[in-house]
Amino acid sequence: MNKTLSVCGVGLMLSLALIGMPGCSKKAVQSGGDSQPGQGMAKEGIDSSMSGVGTFPDTSGQSVGGGLGGIDKNPSEERLGGGTMMAKLDPSGAGRQLDEMRAEQAASAAAGLRDVFFGYDSWTISEDGRQAMTRDAEWMKSNMSALVKVEGHCDERGTSAYNLVLGEKRAKAVRNYLVELGVGANRLSVVSYGKERPACNEHAESCYQQNRRGHLALKTGK
Amino acid sequence: MTQVKLISAWFGGVLLLAGAVGILESGAADVFLEATRPDFQKISGGVLLLAGAVGILESGAADVFLEATRPDFQKISLGVAGIHSVGGPDWLGGRIEEVLKKDVKRSLVFDLVDLPGLGIQTSDIGNGVGDGSKAIFRQAAEKGVSVLVWGKAGLKGSDKEADVNMEGFVYDSGSDELVGGKRYAGSPSVVRLMAHRFADELVFRYTGEPGIARTKIAYVAEQGAARELFVMDYDGHDTRQLTADGFLNLMPQWSPDRRFLIFTSYRNRNTQNIDMIELATGKRWTVIALGGLNITPSLSPDGNFLAFASSHEGNSELYRLDTRTKAIHRLTTNPSGDLSPSWSPSGRELVFVSDRGGGPQLFLMSSDGSNVRRLTFEGDYNAAPSWSPRGNWIAYVCRTQKEYKLCVISPDGQKRMQLTTGQGVDDSPSWSPDGRHLVFSSTADGKSHIYMIDADGKDIERLTFQGTHNSAPSWSPAS
Repeated sequence: MNKTLSVCGVGLMLSLALIGMPGCSKKAVQSGGDSQPGQGMAKEGIDSSMSGVGTFPDTSGQSVGGGLGGIDKNPSEERLGGGTMMAKLDPSGAGRQLDEMRAEQAASAAAGLRDVFFGYDSWTISEDGRQAMTRDAEWMKSNMSALVKVEGHCDERGTSAYNLVLGEKRAKAVRNYLVELGVGANRLSVVSYGKERPACNEHAESCYQQNRRGHLALKTGK
Repeated sequence: MTQVKLISAWFGGVLLLAGAVGILESGAADVFLEATRPDFQKISGGVLLLAGAVGILESGAADVFLEATRPDFQKISLGVAGIHSVGGPDWLGGRIEEVLKKDVKRSLVFDLVDLPGLGIQTSDIGNGVGDGSKAIFRQAAEKGVSVLVWGKAGLKGSDKEADVNMEGFVYDSGSDELVGGKRYAGSPSVVRLMAHRFADELVFRYTGEPGIARTKIAYVAEQGAARELFVMDYDGHDTRQLTADGFLNLMPQWSPDRRFLIFTSYRNRNTQNIDMIELATGKRWTVIALGGLNITPSLSPDGNFLAFASSHEGNSELYRLDTRTKAIHRLTTNPSGDLSPSWSPSGRELVFVSDRGGGPQLFLMSSDGSNVRRLTFEGDYNAAPSWSPRGNWIAYVCRTQKEYKLCVISPDGQKRMQLTTGQGVDDSPSWSPDGRHLVFSSTADGKSHIYMIDADGKDIERLTFQGTHNSAPSWSPAS
């Protein structure tokens, strides 16, 4: 077991170095929303650095004794600063991001692209979902320059982390079905928003239903 | 003198208990006595606890723990005999006193006694050397108060920006000794910090641990469609915003040295990378850009490894990055989702979430990916694990009666407790560095906010009151 895994780890490092090599084996056993074959690990863009790993500071230095001086009979004065935090913020990018999101939403609505809804903790596409996507696929085939970001969303139940993984399964299930319907895979990217960007904020099933969705966002910017 | 006996009897009781636990759990490798920490050597003499603890270590039973949250743990009774305003505004002392009392209470080391309620008037306590203070000490000893603390606070000058001075005193009725004090100075903006620091000194004196009053909590707050990182003091005060990029910034974790946060960033648009940010400077950069969804980063206690989940090879798998060589080691190979790694205090093991059996469950493995075994069997949804810095518990989110609540389980799976009940989704438990508290998010009051809870499920305290959605709290290491 141990040996197999470390061999696998070496394979991963090699494939990191030689972009385009398939990653670790076992790809064939992927299931559910992940059944897209041949999705090489390197293809999704290790472009920020050669290895996809940035610089790492030494974070091991722990202070000893909590920086406390101890209580004593003749304490000398300790001067306390306002702490080392924090840097000034530059919020100028936040507004641009919001504009970009609104533009994507408006473009998707104008194109009549439909959302796909899921059952609780499920990434299986329902009959309604198939019908919606059939129309979405038709639109994409008649608008060949359009690029779509498939977003996977979840309701608020469950943990943030697990819902991110669930949202990715939903997004990939939608992407894979669109590919089955003949949309070029290179026109579709996936992103999971988990439960972090809900369409609806009530604590009720009617709202949860709206949030368990795959959403097609028309790319307008980069 | 009766007080001395009482205190030593208490320590003796804890030590006996710890020894017994050590024998019972001698197989649990990640259960630690606090005396094994690096700060162990700095503990000054006179702490009975320490001598006994060394005895246990030398006898070979290293895998034991002292836990202040056990039902039979007896707290040290402590009275705050006022922080008196001297040469400054009347509110100044009162403000410091309020913060100090809350810190003392939250420490769970002390039992905060109500001195006026015991009939003890403390206005004449002065510097603890006059006849008035002697009378107060006698009264306190008679009423079973083990420790008295008090202080003075004032302004150095008359203008608004003038320095604040605080002097704190400690009297120990067991030894009938004015053991000393602390003197602090700083701008009016550090008044709370003076109280926190004094509280941590008290905890340090009586337990040899640094205390948690100066720790911080990082969390995620909703801002429109964005989620940005914030840091606040452990008591919910002094909130500072760290990011403002308008994208999602999720699930921050602290570096062991408290200088950095590591988190998932959406600012790349096409892939979700793992970024780091330096608190002091705001400098931010990407550390994991493999492609796909990269989430739940967690640095090993020694800072040498980063465990994280990544879907860059298809589905979500766990990886371990050597932060010095940059070598990446794949830990899991499974068609299901693997995520949320959390390190044992020794760095030898990881607890993580996998849905390889259907719903999400907790699994354990060695830090090289070997020796995988399932930890949770109760319920069909167990996720978001966090391994206590003391090693004895793993906190996580358990689904019970369709609600998502906090549970803890021992690493051997033998003991399990549900900590919270009622409605709402509880998420992202994170331990205080002393292992006595958890911080978590909950929608119990409607919107998602941050709460603190004792490790035994008592005393829930809400920490955030502003904003529309606060989540993913992470408790800093002790300074």
